[in-house]
Amino acid sequence: MTGSLIIQQPGNSVVTDLGRFRGPRFGLPVNGALDQFSARAANILTANADNAPLLEITALDFRMRATSDILIAVTGAPLTLTVGGRECPQWEPVSVRAGETVAVRRITGGLRAYLAVHGSVEAPTLLGSCAPDTVIGFGLRLSEGTELRTSQSVAPIRQPYYDLPLFRLGLTRPEFSSQAVVDVTDGPDVDEFGDTAELLFNTEYTVSARSNHIGLRLGGALPERQSTAEVLSRGVPVGAIEVPSREELLVLHRGRGVTAGYPVLAVVTSRSLDVLAQARPGHTITFRKTTVPDATAKYRAALRELENLRSTVATVFSLLGIGNQPGWSKLAPAAGT
Amino acid sequence: MAATPTPTPVDIFESGDAALRVVASSPDSEANWSTVHSLAEWLEAAGADGVHGSVPTYDSLLVEFDPGVTSARQVRAFVLLGLRQLDFVGAPARKPREFSVPVVYGGEYGPDLERVAEHEQLSVQEIIELHTAKSYVIRCLGAPAGSPMMDGPDFPLPVPRLKDPRLSVPAGAVAVAGRQAVIAPAVAPGGWCVIGQTPLTVLDAASEPLVPYVPGDLLRFHQIRPEEFANYAGRKLEAAR
Repeated sequence: MTGSLIIQQPGNSVVTDLGRFRGPRFGLPVNGALDQFSARAANILTANADNAPLLEITALDFRMRATSDILIAVTGAPLTLTVGGRECPQWEPVSVRAGETVAVRRITGGLRAYLAVHGSVEAPTLLGSCAPDTVIGFGLRLSEGTELRTSQSVAPIRQPYYDLPLFRLGLTRPEFSSQAVVDVTDGPDVDEFGDTAELLFNTEYTVSARSNHIGLRLGGALPERQSTAEVLSRGVPVGAIEVPSREELLVLHRGRGVTAGYPVLAVVTSRSLDVLAQARPGHTITFRKTTVPDATAKYRAALRELENLRSTVATVFSLLGIGNQPGWSKLAPAAGT
Repeated sequence: MAATPTPTPVDIFESGDAALRVVASSPDSEANWSTVHSLAEWLEAAGADGVHGSVPTYDSLLVEFDPGVTSARQVRAFVLLGLRQLDFVGAPARKPREFSVPVVYGGEYGPDLERVAEHEQLSVQEIIELHTAKSYVIRCLGAPAGSPMMDGPDFPLPVPRLKDPRLSVPAGAVAVAGRQAVIAPAVAPGGWCVIGQTPLTVLDAASEPLVPYVPGDLLRFHQIRPEEFANYAGRKLEAAR
């Protein structure tokens, strides 16, 4: 059964997914959920595909009403989640009844929250992704009264006694800190910075208010390029650390323009990009050097954690009868019997 | 195209845990460009698991991949395989298409035209003549939004970028900087000198691909009068027959 979500207080929220992976070859940034681990976890907790459209809520309070019974999960930065006025746990599936209001308030310690709905929501796509692209003006930014269609309804599941939380699936939540440590590998142009490259690892940087999904701007001691030769435009990876001015360090995130003419000093690991996605203006960042094999191992360890969660969710949901497949007892009898 | 007799040397650099930078390093910039674009096409056609795609520019190629599925080591081996294959069969031959772009120069359409003329110590008319004098090869698609990056007109001097980049440059802006030329497909901030504007729609977010040209295609500008601008409203940039 289909239903919809009516946005009552949008705050700063969009419908997104894991990104437009075919975009860069056409000159479009990948974009998509900035905290990929939290976004995947929200979708897995609601038995969706990892890449299903979901809501990204940045910094500001958010409220919506469901017109049918649904199952949601909210992940990301610590916050207060209420459903129909009851406080509910983050990082667990939560049952919402038709007519109830879901409120996300007081996002603290981090910057971005993810709200997934079992069966997902409908959103227009471009090159196979619904991720907003602010440069070309594509995507679904939510405003008051926006109606999002949902494709699956889930009968209310409630603990009969005292409305205790129903699920304890036990995913290890990421840590959120105002003094984050970010892993980086040497960039392809690190030699151009000579000895000053070491400053990156001996400096505490402060996140500027001018940071966004395109890049974070960090204040602190800056490594300096030793040559002034003109650089031809080149493709730059998400996570590239550049020193474009004498004022700030620039760390490119998922909304970055795909080409640039600045040397790449270092590159933030895939795992630590999630940490940067949660850094608020005023938070401090210190960088730690790692290697590509170690970064890959850490990334895969996080994926394994999510795989474990997926199998737990599959088991629990099949016992509760949530999901697309009807249970064996509901199948029509075979012909001839 | 015949098989390249001497393969272009390349260097491969780590660029984090999800990308590699491949740089062609022969002294022949045309061979470097051809190598990285042929390699990009080969990678796209071969479609290895976990490889998202690549961004070829002038002498370099950024190959992006999913480190959960593949690794920098595997992708490097895959790139080397592609290069060997290309050395053997040569770059695929493709006939370039030609695009003709009407431009209103100067005034509100090209606020930096006079500044550029002054810098080059030429008249405004000479700048327009040089800009419309030849076809440009589209070297790569750049930021923002699939901009056609071209080798610039034959001006005597490189064009300096604006000291204070504009917060917003309109779609269709025709700009120059250094030894390069470009059209802005979408509204975006920009530090290049805007000398004119085309009324044609370059970027169509409803179509795939979003922009009608690919690297290697040719583009030529011709001057129109400001009164003619409105006549082109809503028309899309299309290849000439």
